[in-house]
Amino acid sequence: MPTPTLTQSIVITLIQCLLVVIFVFVVVPLTVFAERKVLGHIQQRLGSTRVASGHVGFSGWMNRSMWKMGRVPVLSYWRGIPGLVGDVLKLILKEDVIPAKADRFVFFIAPSISMVAAIVVFAAISFVPGTFFTLPTWFPFVGGLPVSGGIADINVGLLWILGVATVGVYGIVLAGWSSNSKYPLLGGLRSAAQMVSYEVPLALSLLAPVVLSASLNFGEMSARMATGMPAWALVPQVIGFLLYLTCGFAETNRLPFDMPEAENELVAGFHTEYSGMKFGLFYLAEYINMAVVSALASAFFLGGPWLLPFGLQGLVNPYLPGFLSWFGAPHAIFFVAKIIFLLFTYIWVRGTIPRYRYDQIMAVGWKYLIPLALINLLLAAAIRCFAV
Amino acid sequence: MHKFLRTLIPADIAKGLSITGKHFSQVFFTANRRKVPLHIVSEYPEVPAKVQPRFRGRLTLLKDEQGEIKCVCCLACEKICPTQVITIEKGKKEGRKMPFPVRYDFEMERCIFCEFCVESCGFDSIILNHQFELAAYNREDFSLGTEGLEQNMFEPSHAGKFSVADD
Repeated sequence: MPTPTLTQSIVITLIQCLLVVIFVFVVVPLTVFAERKVLGHIQQRLGSTRVASGHVGFSGWMNRSMWKMGRVPVLSYWRGIPGLVGDVLKLILKEDVIPAKADRFVFFIAPSISMVAAIVVFAAISFVPGTFFTLPTWFPFVGGLPVSGGIADINVGLLWILGVATVGVYGIVLAGWSSNSKYPLLGGLRSAAQMVSYEVPLALSLLAPVVLSASLNFGEMSARMATGMPAWALVPQVIGFLLYLTCGFAETNRLPFDMPEAENELVAGFHTEYSGMKFGLFYLAEYINMAVVSALASAFFLGGPWLLPFGLQGLVNPYLPGFLSWFGAPHAIFFVAKIIFLLFTYIWVRGTIPRYRYDQIMAVGWKYLIPLALINLLLAAAIRCFAV
Repeated sequence: MHKFLRTLIPADIAKGLSITGKHFSQVFFTANRRKVPLHIVSEYPEVPAKVQPRFRGRLTLLKDEQGEIKCVCCLACEKICPTQVITIEKGKKEGRKMPFPVRYDFEMERCIFCEFCVESCGFDSIILNHQFELAAYNREDFSLGTEGLEQNMFEPSHAGKFSVADD
């Protein structure tokens, strides 16, 4: 394997960036679409099956005749997809209103802070530790060089992720404050308080993998948690996984911790005064944050790019027959599949659990999750001390 | 202690998730393998909507077995109509003892679908049918009469392409 020159490694990093950005911007619209469909199926309706005049033309005739036959037309499952384009067009074309007394600069900058904080986290998430694939030799300029499955697998990856992800709170607080209106201010304060209080158990529940794997490097942590762990280390990890998922739901302001969008108390929370693409950035940031939380959960608790979660892959690996060795190797497909499953879980929980009251959210966060996270950490430390 | 454990162990959440997950998988995986679809929302524009038998739709004149208009111009419906949307002109027709409505106008844009006209009719010659797609682009299109191509009181409205047939 040749050593890459500086320009070659820059080009390879750009390729990795491109892959990650493509992943992010493919996952987000698919999540939005899946949200409609999955919620529809959970509520025993089919979700979006048509856009505007869907009953004209050839496909409309096909659909109609299949409905009349008592069959669900396959076409109609995907006919809601143009709605995504419609949504995006609507966001772009909408008039961007700025309130008269708003702090214009902060009002302008707040959505970008949220969005940037959400995207930059992906810099430290490595989808496959080590080499993802090696470019073919005929590839111009960078042929024969390895491309890693992520942008930068730095050795304080988790610290970077937590640090940058917390910046998203600034976007919300500044958006609520700079709108110069009562509802956004209250909504921003509420979501800020919620996010700050759930940051603590989130970090504490992520400390358990750190303790168990003795590393802050993303790839190394996911590798040790997936393959280098005895099976009974699984027990505190299950608690930690549920804790992390709960805190992740609260961090991304998703249901049942959907405080900013409590329509009956606040109009729409911190983004009441936002319209057009500024609101769109908040919307995008929420969905990218969902993907980030899912990526972290799948890396540290569900085995990451390996197949089985909770360290079970390490038990299975030695007994795998040779032709199944592909299961033991890290592969981005496993990682992405886990992310998709966790995104589905997001929507699933949304369709199941009603919204908490605000004081209930705070009570759960401080009275249950933080002690539980500490106990979980203690368990992990005990396992680390006596067993691993 | 029991309550504390119930709070700690998310059994209720798991139960709720299992119920919604069951519904999801049922609707998702058996969509085309059953005669009766499991989703409960009607596929309205494609499949004709079913309305309740007492649904009050548009006013319709009825004809008897010989194809004659049943109305005998007693003007009961015109008198009882609270919004006065019915206008009847009495006339004669050859070979018919009873009076014949030369003009029976119904201005649907002001109708409140109260069904007083049908109740007051002593000859069962009008009903409110099951047609509910009554949108039109012009105000004139709402004036229905016995004559006219697309504004006929006997025909279903041209707006209701997919609606239930008159019964």
